[in-house]
Amino acid sequence: MLEIKNLHVAVDGKEILKGLTLSIEAGEVHAIMGPNGSGKSTLSYVLAGRAGYDITEGSIRYNGEDLAALAPEARAAKGVFLAMQYPVEIPGVTTMTFLKTALNSQRRQRGESDLEAVAVLKLVRAKAKTLNISEEMLKRALNVGFSGGEKKRLEILQMAIFEPKLAILDETDSGLDIDALRLVAEGVNALRDPSRAMLVITHYQRLLDYIVPDRIHVLAKGRIVAEGGKELALELEAKGYEHIVGQAA
Amino acid sequence: MTLALNLDRKAAAAAVVHAHGVPHRRIEEWKYSDLKAVLGEKGLGAVTAEWLVGNLPTGVEMFDLSEPHPPAWVATHFARATQNVMSAASLALSAGGVAFRVPKGAKIADPLKLDFTGPGHVRALLVLEDGASLTLLEGVGAADFRNVGFEIVIGTGASLEHVRISPEAGDAVLVEEAHVRIAAGGRYRAHFAGFGSKLSRMELEIELDGAGAQAHLSGVSVLDGKRHSDVTTHVIHRHGDTTSSQLFKHVAGGQARAVYQGKVTVAKGADGSDSVQTAKALLLGESAEADLKPELEIFADDVKCAHGAAVGDLDADSLFYLRARGIPEAEARGLLLHAFLEDALAEIANTDQRELARNELLAALRAIA
Repeated sequence: MLEIKNLHVAVDGKEILKGLTLSIEAGEVHAIMGPNGSGKSTLSYVLAGRAGYDITEGSIRYNGEDLAALAPEARAAKGVFLAMQYPVEIPGVTTMTFLKTALNSQRRQRGESDLEAVAVLKLVRAKAKTLNISEEMLKRALNVGFSGGEKKRLEILQMAIFEPKLAILDETDSGLDIDALRLVAEGVNALRDPSRAMLVITHYQRLLDYIVPDRIHVLAKGRIVAEGGKELALELEAKGYEHIVGQAA
Repeated sequence: MTLALNLDRKAAAAAVVHAHGVPHRRIEEWKYSDLKAVLGEKGLGAVTAEWLVGNLPTGVEMFDLSEPHPPAWVATHFARATQNVMSAASLALSAGGVAFRVPKGAKIADPLKLDFTGPGHVRALLVLEDGASLTLLEGVGAADFRNVGFEIVIGTGASLEHVRISPEAGDAVLVEEAHVRIAAGGRYRAHFAGFGSKLSRMELEIELDGAGAQAHLSGVSVLDGKRHSDVTTHVIHRHGDTTSSQLFKHVAGGQARAVYQGKVTVAKGADGSDSVQTAKALLLGESAEADLKPELEIFADDVKCAHGAAVGDLDADSLFYLRARGIPEAEARGLLLHAFLEDALAEIANTDQRELARNELLAALRAIA
C-alpha cells in the first residue's frame, strides 16, 4: 500500500530524512521508533503533505500513485490520515461543524454525495460513545479547552469516522496518562482491519504494549538503522537508543 | 426649538467647520483616513442627504427636522455644541434630517429601520426616555460623499441595540459621527459590519454619564481591493461604576486598509470603572494594511482597564490541519477567517440581523479567501 524508497527530505534547506526506505501492506501495523530529532515527525508531515517539507530525492508511492504530487486534502480524500501530535485549537468552529465539513469534503472529492446533517450526527454520536467523547465536547470549539487526552481521543474519533486506508499516528501517546493511553489504544485496535495499514510513530515502547505492531523500524539521524518484530521494542527499552544506533553506525 | 435657537446652533457649527476645514491626514484623529485628499476640489459641499424609514414601529414618535416647530424633546436634545468638525458640518451644511423618540418605559419589539441614502450631509437624533428599549437597524446606501451626524440619548435604565451594516460601496466616501450619551443604568450595544469603500469612517463618541451605564461595541470588517474602513471610538467614563467593552475584528486583503482607533477616557472621580478593548486584524496580502490603535487615559482610581491589539496572518498550523482532514484550501481559509470573526459577530443579539451580517460576511469571505 505504502512504498517509500530512498526518501530524502529537507526543511529550510537542511536535510532531515537521508534515504529512508519502508513499505507497508494492507492489514499491517508498523511502528517507527526513534530518539528526538531522528526525523519521526518529518516523516509524518511529509506523508500528509505539509508545506515546507521538500522531497529532494526518492519517492513515496501510495497504492501505486505518486503521493507527493497530491495536495493534503486530496491525500485525505484518498484515505491517508495523520493523527497529529499537536492537534490545533480552532476557536469559532465547533467540533461537530468541523467533522461534518471534513467528512463531506472528502466524500465530494471522491465523487460521493454529501451526508445529511442528521446522518453525520448519528454517525459521530455512535463512534464518539465508544471513545467516551461527550455531546458537550462535540459542541465546543474544535480542541479549545480540551485536555491532552481529549485532544488525542478526538483524533482517534476522526480516524473512526473517516475510515482511512493508511493511518499514521504521530506520538499519539505523548502527554497521556495510563488510563487515557489505554482508551486511545483500544480505539486504535478497534480500527485494525485487513484492508487498513497503520504506521505508529512513537518515542517510547509503552504505547506498543497496547498497540502491538507487526514490525518495528528504528529511525535515527534520518535513516532506518534497525528493523525487527515486536520484541525489538523491548530491547530498545532495556538497552536504550544509543546502543542500537551505535551498533548500526 | 425656535428658529433663532436653530440658527444659533447652525452658526456655531459653521464656525467650527470654518476654523478647522476638511480633516486630513496631518490631524492625528484622521491620520489613516485622509478625507481632504479623497474629496479634492469638491470639498464638503452643502447638499442635504436623504433618510428613509422603512417602518415606524408603533410607539415610536418621529419628527422631520426640515419641518418648522419642533417638539420640546427635539429642542432639548438636538445639536449639542461640538468641536467635532464633521459632526458640526452635518449640522451647518444640511437642511434637515430625522428625529425619533421612544417614550418613557416603552419597550419596542419591532426594530426601527433607518437608511441613509444619497450624497450630502444629514442629521439624526434618537431619544430613548427612561426605561425605554429599542433595536435600531441602520442601513448605509452608497453615495459619492455622505456625512451623517447622529445624536443618541439613552435615558436612565433605557436600552438600545444599534446594528449598522455597511455594504461594500466601491468609490463611495461615507463618514458618520455618532454621539451617544448614556444615563445611569442605561445600556448601549452597537455592532458594525463594514465591507469598505474608497473611504469609510464610523466615529463614535460615547459618554457614560451615570452609575451602571454600559456600552458594548463590536465590529467586523472584510475588505478587499482598495477598500478602506475606519472605526474610531472615544468612550468616556464620566461616572464611577460604568462599564465599556469593545471587540473589533478585521480581515484585509489586496491593498485594503482597516483602521481601528479606540480611546477610553476614565474621568476624574469615575472610580470603579471597567473597560476592555480588543482589536485584531488578519492581513491576507503583502499590500494589505491594518492600523490598530487602542489608547487609555485614566484620571480615576481603582479602575479595571485592559486593552490589546494584534495583527497577524492566517495560522499555518490550522490551515494544514484542516487540509489534512480533506478540506480544500480555499474552503479551509474561509472557515478560519469566519472563525476569526465569529466572536465579534456573536455579540449581535438580534437573531435576524446576526444572520444577515453573517451571510454578508460569508459572501465577502468567499470572494477574498
